[in-house]
Amino acid sequence: MSTPWKYEKERILHQRLIYLIGIFVFVIFLLICRMFYLQIICGDRYKEMADKNRISVRLTLPGRGYIYDRNGVKLAENRKTFQAVLFREESKTYRQSIENFQKLIPLEEDELNRIDKEIKRKRQYMPIRVKNNLSFEEAALIQLNAADLKGIRIEEELTRFYPLKENAAHLIGYVSFLTEKDVSDDKDSPLLDLPGYRIGRIGVEKGWEKTLQGMPGMRETEVNAFGRSIRVLKEENAQKGENLTLTIDSRLQEFALKAMGEEAGSAIVMDVHSGAILALVSAPSFDPNIFTRPIPQKIWNPLIQDEKKPLQNKAINGLYSPGSIFKLVVALAGLESGHITASRKVFCSGRTQIGKQYFHCWKRGGHGALTIEEALMHSCDVYFYELAQEIGWKKIISVAKRLGYGIESSLNLTGEKAGILPSQEWKKAKFKDDWRRGDTLNLSIGQGFLSATPLQMVLATARIANGGYAVEPGLVLSQIRQKTSESLGFSPYHLKLIRSGMSMVVNKNGGTAYKARFDINGQKMAGKTASTQVRRITMKEREKGVRSQEDLPWKYRDHAMFTAFAPLDNPQFAVIVAVEHGGGGSKTAAPIASQILQETLRLYPNGLTERKSDDMNNVQTD
Amino acid sequence: MFFKERNCYLKDYNLSLKEKIKRFNFRYLFLICTVVFIGIGTLYSAGNGNWTPWADKQFARFLLSLSVLFFVAFINLRTWMKYAYWIYALGVAALIGVELFGSVNMGAQRWLNLGIMNVQPSEVMKIALILALARYFHSASLSDIQSVQYIIPPMLLMGLPVALIMKQPDLGTALMLVFATGAIFFVVGVQLWKFLAVILSVGCSIPILWTFLHDYQKQRVLTFLNPENDPYGAGYNIIQSKITLGSGGLFGKGFMESTQGRLSFLPEKQTDFIFTVLSEEFGFLGSSALIVLYLIIILYGFYISYQSNNFFGKVLAIGLTVNFALYVFINIGMVSGMLPVVGVPLPLISYGGTAMLTLFAGFGLIESVYINREMVIGRRGSIEDE
Repeated sequence: MSTPWKYEKERILHQRLIYLIGIFVFVIFLLICRMFYLQIICGDRYKEMADKNRISVRLTLPGRGYIYDRNGVKLAENRKTFQAVLFREESKTYRQSIENFQKLIPLEEDELNRIDKEIKRKRQYMPIRVKNNLSFEEAALIQLNAADLKGIRIEEELTRFYPLKENAAHLIGYVSFLTEKDVSDDKDSPLLDLPGYRIGRIGVEKGWEKTLQGMPGMRETEVNAFGRSIRVLKEENAQKGENLTLTIDSRLQEFALKAMGEEAGSAIVMDVHSGAILALVSAPSFDPNIFTRPIPQKIWNPLIQDEKKPLQNKAINGLYSPGSIFKLVVALAGLESGHITASRKVFCSGRTQIGKQYFHCWKRGGHGALTIEEALMHSCDVYFYELAQEIGWKKIISVAKRLGYGIESSLNLTGEKAGILPSQEWKKAKFKDDWRRGDTLNLSIGQGFLSATPLQMVLATARIANGGYAVEPGLVLSQIRQKTSESLGFSPYHLKLIRSGMSMVVNKNGGTAYKARFDINGQKMAGKTASTQVRRITMKEREKGVRSQEDLPWKYRDHAMFTAFAPLDNPQFAVIVAVEHGGGGSKTAAPIASQILQETLRLYPNGLTERKSDDMNNVQTD
Repeated sequence: MFFKERNCYLKDYNLSLKEKIKRFNFRYLFLICTVVFIGIGTLYSAGNGNWTPWADKQFARFLLSLSVLFFVAFINLRTWMKYAYWIYALGVAALIGVELFGSVNMGAQRWLNLGIMNVQPSEVMKIALILALARYFHSASLSDIQSVQYIIPPMLLMGLPVALIMKQPDLGTALMLVFATGAIFFVVGVQLWKFLAVILSVGCSIPILWTFLHDYQKQRVLTFLNPENDPYGAGYNIIQSKITLGSGGLFGKGFMESTQGRLSFLPEKQTDFIFTVLSEEFGFLGSSALIVLYLIIILYGFYISYQSNNFFGKVLAIGLTVNFALYVFINIGMVSGMLPVVGVPLPLISYGGTAMLTLFAGFGLIESVYINREMVIGRRGSIEDE
């Protein structure tokens, strides 16, 4: 039966079959090797990639801490509002939805641009804020038209609200949305993807951002390929930010801003013993609530173009020559250095000559012979020219520094300026020029290179008023030290003389702020005026009939300032009012400061109640 | 002596049903069913722990396919040989029918609606071609096979359906037909230098063939070569497929714990990419075990071929086993990023009716070869030798 056609064929077939089996086993081996490579060698990397695919970490917003004034009045709170959010994965026609949305609730041009940008930047499943801070009525309107607004949903959100509105705008500040600039170093920051995330921009909101912000919560969700959340894997609740109670009195804050009227400037009320700030206003102001929505150009442009600069916090950011207010410093330096005594008189002829240059007193005819108190009362320039020449600029600067000039305070508000306390070294570095006698004379009347913020000026007043203690300005009630025992080392007697001079400014007929005096149950104030030149009235203008400040254009008028403390016998509160281009300090600033101090005394006739009684002794011992 | 024992079956070889059942290889069927159940389990998991939409239908198809397997297995092997060319002709006719009346699905014309069900003639063609080739080589002597002119008719047998399938277009199936034919040519004894010549000439003509490829085919090849080029477009499947596979690690994430599949990162997870879901859930151990199981089924097919006492049965069993193995190799190679994505399902596991049905018909034929392993078939299909 050996048919060769068959058996030879079978032999070959069996032989080839073995080769085939060899090849197949080899292929299977290759496949297993490939599995080994992908699953064991690269397994961790692919596991990571798979997790990245499926796990989406989203942060949940903590509620921001509230801000209260010293009496528990809310200065900043969170209110429940609504926002319209676009979920692109829910509708292919989301562009049409935005069009339809616009017909119901108009969107600004820049708002539309932002939405466009976010549509391009964010991944498909990331929600996009269409418009926030919607009222209940607006939210209802959107819900009613939901059929035309596919993909747009209404979500609740917490919006910051400032009940005091413009009355504490600069002090409290505001919060606003993050911009790409804020996270430029981290474009993938998860915070950027939170439609409701805001941070403090200025004022207390910025200074105490960490306290108020709280801890964001975290939500790890499993998402599918389309980005929809399937289930929550891990959740950590957000921790609400801490509440903050300020030393501010909201009534006084409101009163102070109202007292500023139409003027541009600032006012600060400070407790002289603790440095606690009771009111800090900058005028004109703005309503911080506008920042909770992205600001349209038509509101923004007027704000930044206004020559009265409503966005600037002039109380800490405005730099002025302190002018005659600085005479308090020079007088104290004179007394401390021993060059003058209470009884020594200096003759004012109306001018002082340095070489070929004349330095005039503001009163052309001169004041005649004056004591230090009288010099302060009349704000005689010549007295201080003479005094400054005797004691030299170094001693003046040293006293100024001790009173708080030339350095930033510990207030923790952004934008605060240190001002300039000039010196020989400073002038050399800045102008490559030597310190000249004329510079000393300019310094003696608070002009020239010298500049300071209203905060520094009121701090100096407080330190003079409290008997020479190194108080620091403070805003947070819990951080205020009730009693400052650190003395600045001035003689109490000298300080009393200065205070007496300040009293004569207000309470003695002929004093520069006599018109602003008050007497409420024996409580009086003492102060010092200043009018600082922005620009001299030129000869040409004089010829044209420009005689007084009112004849000049607003921006060329003098700055008017007045600092004061009260009550006279038992100082409790210090105040500064700085009116930009207000003309004269006695005419513009003093009446405002007087009103504010009267209101302060009306509210706190016995000073701040939280102060212990033994602290009062410090004041009365001098 | 060995042959003498077999000669007792030279007489007419008609087994009773009882004898057929007795000779049926249940171990082989058991291996096959094991893979099917693994597949149904994976589909259950891919459906997020639901019988619908895939696992229940797959189970129904399994039952239907199983009855087809028995039906095919119990038909006399000689009958299959007798109708081999007719079946082939029917397959070619169906392919032409697809060309004329077929429905377009996913950009390719592959389906023929027969009223009760949609049939993919290209799948049927795989079996038909192997049947025809087995019959052709059964009658040939070794010297015939090793002559050039004798090789031309089987080349044409292959060429006609390959051309029709390429036109659909279905590159994967066409390539499988070419490889299965190649393997048959190899085992029946075509000289190795002829293979070399073909491989060389194909290698030289690749640049020319490239211009004939459809854009989507070119895209697939290019994407295969560098998937990271287009991570959200054409490369998405391959990247996600590798992530799914790789993230399984050694032990896997556990049954029903696939994240890639469950969360829809992987398109076509129930069909061509089902292997990755399984690998993700059972890790390296699970996927290797399945690959080894496939190897056992393949080797068993070759063992049945070896057992057969007739050349038709031998070639048929080898051809069908090679066909099965090609499914495995191409699918796993494709999902693991070793081969371009050509649309070949994972046999017995991927969701799909025609593939399962034709695979079981193939296994039925292999069982038939086993049942009739002692049968001797003459050169022209007669009982006696010439």
